[in-house]
Amino acid sequence: MKKIEAIVKPFKLDDIKEALNEIGIQGMTISEVKGYGRQKGHKEIYRGAEYVVDFIPKIKIELVVDDAVAGQVVEKIRDAANTGKIGDGKIFILPVEEAIRVRTGETGADAV
Amino acid sequence: MSFACLSCTMKNPFVQISNTLKQKREKLLAEMTAMEPLAFMQQHAGFLDAYFRESFENSNVGPTLALYKNPCAIIALGGYGRGEQCVHSDVDILFLFQDNVPPAAADLIQEIVYPLWDLGLEVGYATRTLKECVQMARQDPVILTPNLDARFICGVSILFTKLLDDLRKKILKKNSKKTIDWLVDQSRDRHRHFGDSAYLLEPNLKEGQGGLRDYHTILWIGRIKLGIRQPRDLEYFGYLSHEEYQSMRKALFFIWDVRNRLHLKTGRKSDQLYFEDQIDLAESMQYRQVNGQQAVESFLGDLHANMDIMKQQLLMFLSEQGHAGAYGKKNRRGPSNLAAGLELARDMLRFETPETILKSPALLVQIYAESARLDIPLGLDAKRLVSEFRHLIDTHVRSDKQVVKAFETILRKPAANVDALGEMLENGSLIQLVPDLKNIVNRIQYDEYHVYPVDKHSLRTVQAIRNFGTEQDETGCQLCGKIWKDLKYQKRLLWAALLHDIGKGVAETDHAETGAQIAQGVMIDLGYSQTDAETVSFLVAHHLLLMKTATRRDIHDEETAIGCARIVKKVSHLQMLFLLSVADAVSTGQNAWNEWTLALLRDLFLKVMNILKRGELASRHAVQTIEKKQALILAAATDPVDREQLALVFNALSPRYVLNLPVKEILEDIALYRRLGDQPFVWQVNKNEAADTRTVRICAQDRPGLFSKIAGTFTLNSLDILDAQIFTWRNNTAVDVFTLRPPLDKIFEDERWARAERSLVAALTDQLKLSEQLQKKINAIGTIKPKVSKRPHKVMVDNHSSSFFTIIEVYTYDFPGLLFAITDALYRLELDIWVAKISTKIDQVVDVFYVRDIHGQKVDSDGQVSEIEAAVYERLPKII
Repeated sequence: MKKIEAIVKPFKLDDIKEALNEIGIQGMTISEVKGYGRQKGHKEIYRGAEYVVDFIPKIKIELVVDDAVAGQVVEKIRDAANTGKIGDGKIFILPVEEAIRVRTGETGADAV
Repeated sequence: MSFACLSCTMKNPFVQISNTLKQKREKLLAEMTAMEPLAFMQQHAGFLDAYFRESFENSNVGPTLALYKNPCAIIALGGYGRGEQCVHSDVDILFLFQDNVPPAAADLIQEIVYPLWDLGLEVGYATRTLKECVQMARQDPVILTPNLDARFICGVSILFTKLLDDLRKKILKKNSKKTIDWLVDQSRDRHRHFGDSAYLLEPNLKEGQGGLRDYHTILWIGRIKLGIRQPRDLEYFGYLSHEEYQSMRKALFFIWDVRNRLHLKTGRKSDQLYFEDQIDLAESMQYRQVNGQQAVESFLGDLHANMDIMKQQLLMFLSEQGHAGAYGKKNRRGPSNLAAGLELARDMLRFETPETILKSPALLVQIYAESARLDIPLGLDAKRLVSEFRHLIDTHVRSDKQVVKAFETILRKPAANVDALGEMLENGSLIQLVPDLKNIVNRIQYDEYHVYPVDKHSLRTVQAIRNFGTEQDETGCQLCGKIWKDLKYQKRLLWAALLHDIGKGVAETDHAETGAQIAQGVMIDLGYSQTDAETVSFLVAHHLLLMKTATRRDIHDEETAIGCARIVKKVSHLQMLFLLSVADAVSTGQNAWNEWTLALLRDLFLKVMNILKRGELASRHAVQTIEKKQALILAAATDPVDREQLALVFNALSPRYVLNLPVKEILEDIALYRRLGDQPFVWQVNKNEAADTRTVRICAQDRPGLFSKIAGTFTLNSLDILDAQIFTWRNNTAVDVFTLRPPLDKIFEDERWARAERSLVAALTDQLKLSEQLQKKINAIGTIKPKVSKRPHKVMVDNHSSSFFTIIEVYTYDFPGLLFAITDALYRLELDIWVAKISTKIDQVVDVFYVRDIHGQKVDSDGQVSEIEAAVYERLPKII
């Protein structure tokens, strides 16, 4: 099993969700996060006051999937999230040791 | 001795007695949903009474207690004592002894109480002497209050009478104030802790605002202070009017019904109405889908309405009993220029006489205006009168300027103790004033996102706006406070906040659009000016614009900000929309508002503000210009297919391009673009006879260094650049328009142009070493003489004017190769030129470049800025 973590631009969330639904992915976890990479923060001036955005709002998507579909899932996310402009984000793949479904106690692939 | 021992060694009537209870109870539960809740609860209590009496009579331990020496009694406490025994509520009893608690008492309890546990009932029992009872009750109000509801079940009744006597004499007479204060504090804390239960998604039927505890509190205070014996006494003794008592009773019955059904469904003492249960309960209570509103939504609407009534009763009761101050600071100010027809009595506002209302119905609104202005609540009488006479608020009153002004005060004033707007909603006078609000009263939106019913939400939005910049501001947005304070025409925004969701009462429509029309009508009816009405209508129509854009579009794209700016058009409108968006979100519930969302929204706001302030890209004039040009361009199509293609191309044009060039030229560029294909570039050379200049239009795929290569090529071919405009379309097509002096050799001009074209091809395909060639040429001309000039060069890097580009301005005097020099410097700094405007006046040159780095970001770190300045200065000739 692999855990896929994607940090993407907020307005891409719906597109990504749809793209994943198309390949049968039925669950994911979303959090509202902030960060920066090469897309650095910026500042705006309004009435003489500076409003600095040094951490840019992003969305983090997390899901755990079978090894077999991990590659496909990453592709789908990347295609949907890509705008070609800086700040598109990153996707990480991590190994998962075990997964358990709380309601039934199922483990492994049955839990995912 | 264990119970098991008892049962096998003693008689077995207990099994029979508890079985009887079990059967009676089961039968009753089966009939519950068809019964009136109070009747059910009283019967339920009655069955338990019968059980205790029979158990006690048949008790084996009982006779051993020597009751003549040490009398005892079984007494019902709390809800059981009141005869309000819900399905799974605790059974609270007291085993009361006169002098001391004998050891056999434990056995008695085993006999009587254990079978109840076996039946699955929760029994809370206490074993005390009379003295202990009084002592503990005196020390701890938590022990006292259930005793206030005490009821004799069986045993020695004199003991019960003594208990009541002792409680009255030793505690109530002496400590009543302390106890009541404690009860009021408890209420307040409870309300705070459980939020506004009438509004929370999953109301707590017992502890929330408008829950059963509110009713208990009224009863307890009534018993302590007013000598009330039974609930009916509240009306008999005049503490509640007949109507109020009936309405409270009706609300109670509803809440009890829901609670009992909830207990039955979950099989335990549950008081919090969770999501899973709401739908089933709505169905079991016969709610159906009606008018686009789900059954569960109607159910919750009714529940909220009833809990509201209960809550209002408590607050009115407390206020009448002089405890208004406990819910806020007591107001010591006297009336300062109070409106005519009103007076102040006992720290509360009232009408001088009811007749004054008939003579001047405007007072019904003015009293609330004064209440808001002075932060003084209305007395109970005044509230009753407003409710009774609210129908006098008719069209005539509505168009009275004084009334409208008074209402503006109500909208505007943030008051610590008084919620005038909320009260007007409760008693229906607000609906009289703005009849269109009727459709959204208690209309619930059933999802985990919307916590408050639509009408309450609208009021909370008004409140959120009033709170900007104050301590009560929950948004965490200091910018909002600033904008609100300086906002002109605050009343327009307040009205928009009140009316922004008014379209939600109309099913199957876009509520923003519908609401805008309704809002327009409302404002006009109330006699507001056309501008006021249009502004409010605009705000309602677009109250979702900023939030939708911020969450669904790329806010780092200039186009997004421009699109928004063109819809909003005015700085003042943008400010109001921003405040409205924040207030709307924070009043929807916790899920809709947090720091993350604020950051997103604020960033968009600032970017759009920048665009609006510059004016050129998004003013009303700009919008009209673009629309006109689009129409003209599409009209030039030769056939429908051509028109479709033209439409596609038009969408690819960038905003600055469309705004700055005339339609004729745009069409020329589009024609050029269609010829571009895979070629490195295409161009068109036009003669401008009158001014004796040449215009060269170049269309190419944009790439780094394009502009500098073109500039360099012209210089290499001795073509002087006078002016230039550089644009980049959305599809990355560069469109450059140069105004040049004609070639020196006018006879062989065409040849010159052909040669220039070939050079440019070579330069763009990297076959020509432009820098080298240029350097040779410039050396041939001779070194550029230093100029004596009073005006130095200026290189300015501006990162404030645009949120999306770094703007570089260069002021210098003309010299050969100038444009190449500057653009080459920028190219070597890895800067991308998106837009440029070059103009020459005699020998003064002004160059403006809109640039971004290779990542598409502004260059705004200090190091980068000085780097740009240095690099450009270096290329400019020295001045003496």
